[in-house]
Amino acid sequence: MTTTSVTMEDKQGQWQHLYKVLSKPGPYSDEDWVPGMETVKALESSKILGAGGLGCEILKNLALSGFKDIHVIDMDTIDISNLNRQFLFRQADIGKPKAEVAAAFVEKRVKGVKITPFVGKIQDKDEDYYMQFKIVICGLDSIEARRWINSTLIGMVDPEDPESLKPLIDGGTEGFKGQARVILPTLSSCIECQLDMHAPRPAVPLCTIATIPRQPQHCIEWAHQIAWQEKRKDDSFDSDDMEHISWVYNAALQRAQHFHIHGVTFQMTQGVVKNIIPAIASTNAVIAASTTSEVLKIATSCNPYLENYMMYAGEEGVYTYTFEAEKKPDCPVCGNLARKMTVNADMTLGDFIESLGERAEAQLKKPSLRTEEKTLYQRFPPQLEEHTRPNLRLKLRELVEDGEEVAVSDPAYTIDFRYRLNFQ
Amino acid sequence: MLKIWSMKQQQQQAENAEGAAGKKKKKVTAAQLRVQRDLQELTLGNTMKMSFPNPDDILNFTLSIEPDEGMYKGGVFHFNFTVNQNFPHDPPKVKCTQKIYHPNIDLEGNVCLNILREDWKPVLNLNAVIVGMQFLFLEPNASDPLNKDAAEDLRSNRDSFKRNVRSSMAGGSVRGVSFERVLK
Amino acid sequence: MADAFPATLAGPTSKERRYDRQLRLWAASGQQALEDARVLLVNSDGPLGSSSTGVSGVAGVETLKNLVLPGIGGFTIVDPAMVTEADLGVNFFLEQDSLGKSRADETCRLLRELNPDVQGYSYSTPITELLQDPAFLPQHKLIIISGPAKRSTLDPLCLEAQELGIPVLYTHSVGFYATFSSQLAAEFPIVETHPDPETTQDLRLLNPWPELAGAAAALPNLEAMDDHQHGHVPYILLLLHFVEEWKQSHEGNAPANYKEKTEFREFVRSKTRTDNPEGGEENFDEAVAAVLKTISPFTLRSTIREIFEMEQCQTLTADSADFWIIASAINTFYTKHNVLPLPGSLPDMKAQSADYVSLQNIYKSKARADVEEVLATVRQLESQLNRPMAPIPDRDVEVFCKNAAHIKVVRGRAIPQINSNSDPETLSAIRNQLGLSQLGLPDSLVSVFIATQILDAVVDEIQSSAQSSSFSVDDEALWKSHTERILALLQRDDPTPLDEEARESIENAILELRRAEGGELHNIASLAGGLVAQEALKVLTRQYVPMDNTCVFDGARSRSEMYRL
Repeated sequence: MTTTSVTMEDKQGQWQHLYKVLSKPGPYSDEDWVPGMETVKALESSKILGAGGLGCEILKNLALSGFKDIHVIDMDTIDISNLNRQFLFRQADIGKPKAEVAAAFVEKRVKGVKITPFVGKIQDKDEDYYMQFKIVICGLDSIEARRWINSTLIGMVDPEDPESLKPLIDGGTEGFKGQARVILPTLSSCIECQLDMHAPRPAVPLCTIATIPRQPQHCIEWAHQIAWQEKRKDDSFDSDDMEHISWVYNAALQRAQHFHIHGVTFQMTQGVVKNIIPAIASTNAVIAASTTSEVLKIATSCNPYLENYMMYAGEEGVYTYTFEAEKKPDCPVCGNLARKMTVNADMTLGDFIESLGERAEAQLKKPSLRTEEKTLYQRFPPQLEEHTRPNLRLKLRELVEDGEEVAVSDPAYTIDFRYRLNFQ
Repeated sequence: MLKIWSMKQQQQQAENAEGAAGKKKKKVTAAQLRVQRDLQELTLGNTMKMSFPNPDDILNFTLSIEPDEGMYKGGVFHFNFTVNQNFPHDPPKVKCTQKIYHPNIDLEGNVCLNILREDWKPVLNLNAVIVGMQFLFLEPNASDPLNKDAAEDLRSNRDSFKRNVRSSMAGGSVRGVSFERVLK
Repeated sequence: MADAFPATLAGPTSKERRYDRQLRLWAASGQQALEDARVLLVNSDGPLGSSSTGVSGVAGVETLKNLVLPGIGGFTIVDPAMVTEADLGVNFFLEQDSLGKSRADETCRLLRELNPDVQGYSYSTPITELLQDPAFLPQHKLIIISGPAKRSTLDPLCLEAQELGIPVLYTHSVGFYATFSSQLAAEFPIVETHPDPETTQDLRLLNPWPELAGAAAALPNLEAMDDHQHGHVPYILLLLHFVEEWKQSHEGNAPANYKEKTEFREFVRSKTRTDNPEGGEENFDEAVAAVLKTISPFTLRSTIREIFEMEQCQTLTADSADFWIIASAINTFYTKHNVLPLPGSLPDMKAQSADYVSLQNIYKSKARADVEEVLATVRQLESQLNRPMAPIPDRDVEVFCKNAAHIKVVRGRAIPQINSNSDPETLSAIRNQLGLSQLGLPDSLVSVFIATQILDAVVDEIQSSAQSSSFSVDDEALWKSHTERILALLQRDDPTPLDEEARESIENAILELRRAEGGELHNIASLAGGLVAQEALKVLTRQYVPMDNTCVFDGARSRSEMYRL
């Protein structure tokens, strides 16, 4: 979808502020960059995918950055607690899917933009779907979802097809803090490389919760994890069900009274049970805008993009720290890309394993291997070995599809190997 | 954008690597790969057995422990292991499938073992968990119990605790709570 | 069995649910302060030259969005501009039908949709006219001005705000750059600074009060304890106990320096039992880990000492603000006891429930007693001073005591400007920043601030000129003359010429700024709106610590800096 009715000379148009910046070079823009109509066309034809809790801000910013073809994924429906920051939603929208309401709102407000919503999880979509986009921008709220999109985009990179490389721009917030980062799959440090920068929340020992509670939170965890299991085995706990939360709150309160512990409140109960992270409009605005600003710079080259991490803290003045996170050579995701291997499909798995021992880079002695779907051969424990031993006599074509990935581990090496098997 | 793509091409030429072109198929996930490695590096001895209801799914399995010494000798204890796709960032989830009398395992099968929760680190592996589980049967720990009654018994009178263990393992009841028979 | 814990549905109100995610940050007191506040946005002040109707004011509107959503009481938009096609490409709070209408009215209408509890008012008259009414400005608790604004508007507005004690935020969003400065009251005190909880622990292990010392002395013989008891003694009691033991072999002195503390730590470690099933003890691990941090005498932080020494604290009058009365009472407390009131919070630690709760009560009771003492002094001061206002609420004294070690007083300054009346301190701070590049640091973003000052001067000249419509905001001659003038001003008090790096950095900032010809990019305007709203929230709630006093965000290189200019 390209709109060519607007020219750079059109000084009165809707996009005149943006075009001023895209029509002349700046002191920091790349020397090779050619400003002008070409850049505008590149911008307008870039299909962008946005996802996650920063979605309202991200959609607004992309639409007002001149992108014309935007897709959005979100599985959630609108909750009253979203209204303090997700400004595309109103009281009357509570219960409706976020992606649809947000897409319709921005499409109506900003002339000429097309926004395609998908109500569901990012994991519902496959590589073919992600391949259509130029850039992916995420404000996801779980580490698991971040890791998934990261490894999916890295797995999609085909060295012979540069367009298979989809920059991933990630943003996240917590209270007055947040971070924005740019990931160029396989080229720069990825989410997996940076995993240890985000320490998991400290957990309380189960035995403390069970026998020696000291804090109101311990009582809430007891009610949620132990009392519920015991007393309401047949109801599956739903943190959005007020009756369920009230039950947990009352159970926690009784336990706290029994141990003379003060401070169990309904608000705290919700916070503990739903693992609520404080969130405000202003921090979301800062982080969403830094991520979309990077998208604009990457799509147009009008200024250098972030390399590659900016952290932000607003509790005391305004503080940002911009640095380059390092790519880990032993990263299990981006440090371990599949190598191509051409094999005879009629070779048995046993012979194939033997041939691995002869490969220069591997010289594997005792490998175990699998595909995403199948355990091909697992040397230990014995129960699995017995089960998979018959596979050794099967031909590769009976076990693996042409082009499928096989992952190999060997106790002799600390790293694992991935091969994409192409049949001769 | 063009610049990023040309960076990729340069990197490719520099490495002159074997390309991974071709059709895209599902990748082995990071969690699967890690479990494959962890399983291979297990030391089970003859007191432990594993079983895989679906051998192609190595993220879900059962571990059976048959202690050959200590108070729980003669019993067979089954634990369900559930490993999620966020492993090893998240610890495996472990639950005892039987109702047993043990200070560190409650009647619902929850297990109190530090490395399954507060002390879990991604550098730990399944072997560390299994060793910890085995240790719980050799040295039940009264200090930080999940089953408070069992812990009281262990602390106050070790001999009567032992008797309770024996009778619970035989399917008897202790303090009015009946237990599952777990003898071999 | 579902009725084992009868569910009384004592759920939160719909307002508490709407604001849940922010109440966890600033609580009901912060929320109340927001709801009591009306914010003024002066969003444009005349055309920027021939090709423009004026500042597009997106950063201002985005700031208001971030204040309307969390529920400020109300806002006023002053903006004489009419909506143009260009506004629609950059401002989300305008729609196709807004074209040709008052920008103030249209943005106000669409912002109000965000939160039915917020009042919105709009004026299409210039701010200078509105200021004729002396009742106009005092309705507001904060003023946000979208720059560039001409000096004949900015200066009187800031002056009147200062006299009325209303804080001002002056912002710029041009192309990839955003800058903003604040003008706070000469003394802007904050009690609830929300420090990192790690830094707020005050356990008094080297100077325990009698009840705490008594609890440690009452510990039964550690060696005689069974493993279970031994492994559950709260680490605080362990440390108190071992400090006493240490003193006996060290001439009555507690570990004083790093070397002694490390020795003491090993001494504590050596007392851990390892011959138990767990092969160690968590409470001893906690004790060992806490030695270096907690085995220290109480010291008054210099920032607090400075506050005690300030004139406002030393000389109270009937008009003194509540803050200073309480600060003075706490100073009295400190003079008498050599410590601040105890905050009273106790970290979680390995212990039996009952033991922990009774230790916690020792801390809580002492904190309560300290509050009572301070409160008595406060009441005494109030009556001595014959204060005309309502007595200070007990609750405020309690909150102050809890936060006493972390209070802050920001000393507000006027909005920094580079012109012939510039404060020498402002010029010297800018020169210092420019000099940093010689130390091999990345070039200072203060050059962006300088560039926006030149933009202000250029716009000021255009707007003050009789033929304003014949100039462009990109007029080469205007930029050249004002650049030279501003660079000369930077050397007014320090004639050392600017070095080459500094000059280049300023030139680059001017180039990047001029690229946009005064126009806003939505991303940067939105980001500025987030940062400015964050400052507004901190100023209005008097929680967290506001910026002091200038911030620059460089979207071209994705970084920011903050200066006191």
